[in-house]
Amino acid sequence: MLTVLIYGAVTSAILAMLAVGFTLIFGVARILNLAHGAFYALGAYFAYTFTAILKLPLIVAAALSVALVALFGVAMERVLVRPLRQSSLAVLMITLVVALTTEQALFVAFGSQSKNVPAFVNFPIYLHGVSVDGQRLLALVIAVALIGALWLFIQRTRLGSAILAVSQDPEAAQYMGIPANRIFTIVMGLSAALAGAAGVIAAPFLSVRPTMDQTAMITAFSVVIVGGLGSIPGSILAALVIGYSQTIVAFYLNPEWTGTVSLVAILLTLVLRPSGLMGRAVGA
Amino acid sequence: MRRIVPLVTSAVFAGTLAMSVQASAAGKPILIGLDTPIQLQVGKDTEAAVKMAVDEINAKGGVLGRKLEYVTADEGTDPQLGVSAINKLTSDDHVDVLIGGYDSGVTLAEEPHIARSKTIWLGVGSASPNITALVGKHYGQYKYIFRVNPLNSALQAKQIVDFAEHVVKGQLHRDKVAILGESAIWVRGLVPVLVKGLEAHGIKVTYQQLFDETMTDFTPLFARVKDSGAQFLLTILSHANSDVFVKQLYEARLPMPYGGIDVKSMTPNFCSRVNGAAVGETTVNFITRAPITDKTIAFWDDFVKINGRAPVYTAPGAYNSVYLYAWAVEKAGTTDADKVIRQLEKADYLGVGGKIKFSKVHDDIDGPGYQNLLFVQWQKDCTRQVVWPKAVATGKVTLPPWVGK
Amino acid sequence: MRARNWVGGAALVGLLAGLPPLLHNQYFTGVFIVCAIDGIWAASWDFFSGLTGRENFGHALFIGGGAYAAAFLNGTFGFNPWLSLPAGVAIAVALGLLVGVPTLRLKGPYFALATLASAAIMQQVAINLWQYTGGTEGIYGLDTLFESSLGFYYFVLAVLGATVLVLGVAARSRWGTILRAIRGDETACQAAGVNVTVHKIASLAVSAAFAGLGGALYAQYQQAVTPNDFDVFVSISVIIMAYVGGIGSIWGAALGGILLNLMLELLRGMGEYRLWVYYLILMVVLFFMRGGVVAPLWRRLSGRGA
Repeated sequence: MLTVLIYGAVTSAILAMLAVGFTLIFGVARILNLAHGAFYALGAYFAYTFTAILKLPLIVAAALSVALVALFGVAMERVLVRPLRQSSLAVLMITLVVALTTEQALFVAFGSQSKNVPAFVNFPIYLHGVSVDGQRLLALVIAVALIGALWLFIQRTRLGSAILAVSQDPEAAQYMGIPANRIFTIVMGLSAALAGAAGVIAAPFLSVRPTMDQTAMITAFSVVIVGGLGSIPGSILAALVIGYSQTIVAFYLNPEWTGTVSLVAILLTLVLRPSGLMGRAVGA
Repeated sequence: MRRIVPLVTSAVFAGTLAMSVQASAAGKPILIGLDTPIQLQVGKDTEAAVKMAVDEINAKGGVLGRKLEYVTADEGTDPQLGVSAINKLTSDDHVDVLIGGYDSGVTLAEEPHIARSKTIWLGVGSASPNITALVGKHYGQYKYIFRVNPLNSALQAKQIVDFAEHVVKGQLHRDKVAILGESAIWVRGLVPVLVKGLEAHGIKVTYQQLFDETMTDFTPLFARVKDSGAQFLLTILSHANSDVFVKQLYEARLPMPYGGIDVKSMTPNFCSRVNGAAVGETTVNFITRAPITDKTIAFWDDFVKINGRAPVYTAPGAYNSVYLYAWAVEKAGTTDADKVIRQLEKADYLGVGGKIKFSKVHDDIDGPGYQNLLFVQWQKDCTRQVVWPKAVATGKVTLPPWVGK
Repeated sequence: MRARNWVGGAALVGLLAGLPPLLHNQYFTGVFIVCAIDGIWAASWDFFSGLTGRENFGHALFIGGGAYAAAFLNGTFGFNPWLSLPAGVAIAVALGLLVGVPTLRLKGPYFALATLASAAIMQQVAINLWQYTGGTEGIYGLDTLFESSLGFYYFVLAVLGATVLVLGVAARSRWGTILRAIRGDETACQAAGVNVTVHKIASLAVSAAFAGLGGALYAQYQQAVTPNDFDVFVSISVIIMAYVGGIGSIWGAALGGILLNLMLELLRGMGEYRLWVYYLILMVVLFFMRGGVVAPLWRRLSGRGA
């Protein structure tokens, strides 16, 4: 029972990290960033490169990886997305192709075999008699810390208020002197950094392969839909719901069907309550 | 003068034409077509092994005085790409023989197209028994299909039972096993055969579960394996995330030895890629750097020298296929498919992993001297020892470092 | 239709019909068969999503549905392969109605994600109900419709021609105008007395029908189906094809399908870099030619302006 509680929490934490970044950029810029999974994959692969190839210490490698992914996101937004912002389909397509190109680049550069990223914490930790892998607990702690920091940033700082303003009404914000375009770029950087961090922190205990962006995207979709596109608290709630559902299905029902949990969650939400748990009204 | 020049020119022209026709008939290379997933390691090693064999044979004069050449077409893991790869190789490149295969779904989709092209296909990577079953059902149409490697999954089940009886029960004194495998079709076919065989030898299966190949969280499964009272974990993994599986098993310190089919663990660098977490895992292999036959070590060392890495399981199959085909063509005296097929059906050819002989449905057979599964265990410092069969064993099976006696 | 378009269309059909026998190469004929089927899929997608602006990210649901219908009928039960075609249409339409009715009221990204999820769920079902579907190995050993690949090609080309004709005429008819109006402002249409829901569902059903037809044709050409046929990659490829061809033009989408698959095959020489080069080319194309390539180019060349 305690095992399920803890494992559900860890699963939910990673889901939340992926989902929050994705919902953030949608909430602020109305962009469905299909390259979000690629940020996650790049985070893991940068971490691999810095630790295994360049032999940098873990902390440095982690920080550098997240920074580089953020830069990648910013570059993508500035160079490819901003000129196409008039057409949401065009933005969708270009982010999609960025994701596909990145995946192929990883194949070509690193090969198809999975890579090993060393863990910060290599030993099991015992909580009330249940042994949990240290790295997973660390992932949980870091996820909570990062999301908490993001939330505080948005609620308490001037830049955060600017972001909120732009997310509610970009034109009005522009009239008030807030540079909407620059806000979009900053938010994309934040979103990418979060996804990249998820990649860095989860890489030691998940699979680092060129196709890891695909599973990340499907899961991010499900959490974001169930939580409500654009709502950070919604994503956190939905991550818990889906994370624990998957864990319960795996532990008590049939592990063969864990993959279907997120898909069914999407369909149910869209059919019953499309705006999700905490999103805005959405039907036609 | 005016008549001589055109006459001489025509003569020279005719002579050159005649000579070039002669030369091309004698010197026209034998073309091998590779249908393999070139982005994956199994594909890259298939190609590397074929190149090695082709270079060696050409250095010794070729086949029937003709050089061997090869051309590769990516089949990926997508049947559409596979069918178009087969069409390209047979209808565009006009290859004399096809070598390759990895994903059973792709191979099965390709088969009617291979059959229609009347080109011999030597399989080196796909294990589904359905592939060769077609040879039995419609021989005239599918006689071109041969599986050189690996053993089909039913034979693999038989050999795993053998291992369980002698090593798990005999040497490690454990008679309760759990089975975890990915939910691919060939696994579903294999598991019942496995269970029946195990129970016939007094080994109880306390838990069995299949999971989706994309699964990345095995901890709930390990918990159930432990709770079921199992003393050994049998794994059946091919496309699944073996690296995560092994890492999480190590994290969870599952209190039992484990092993079975784990295709990714066949790769010589697997243990180091998971930071040593795989120490204690016993997996089947078709080849390893051990004197299985007197050709094995030479093949292994040459491959490492040329490619800078050790070969994965499709490599020995591909290497054997080239040599086998060359032998059959020499014996038949022609590349005519029907005649070569007749030779292949009679083959009893020594490859780098054992002798190669085909069953009635063109499946490679097992048995003493033939190709068998080698049970290889990752031991201290990521070294590998063959622990079964006894005839070729190089070491004894040990328990994973965290498991007490 | 302007005379220029008739001439252009005839030239195109002539080229498509004449090239394979000229090349006299079964591989290329096979490539063209798949190209033409891709054209059918792209045109069918364009008819609904291109006109209404509701991007369907799960077109593979209809494609795979048609393919598996063929596989069950011909592969599992041994019926005549020609029956697969109407069966594919029927199953795809059923799926279209099943998915369409509850999801069509959703806006933009939600509809896209709902359709994506539907196709993904169907893929899981195809894998998990392995006793009937063959799981990951799928159903193989289907009969082919034509022994001669050239014959198969001309048949598919004819179906493609019919598809583009029918959908093209529908797109330029009152029906099409209504669909385009729905894209502009759905509430206004509703206020104007148009039964928006019926129109949307009907056009999704038509889109599904042709996709399913293409799927069945594809199954009988490949002679095998696998859960790959429901994959998100298939859905995405179709969207890219229609996009490059020119959203809303129907014939442009079809040509986009043909050209993109051709390019993918021609890039085989790039070895393991094939897909990477393909996506880089696409990135450049998508960035610089936002309205698509084929249809806008023709409009410019034929003097109608950008």
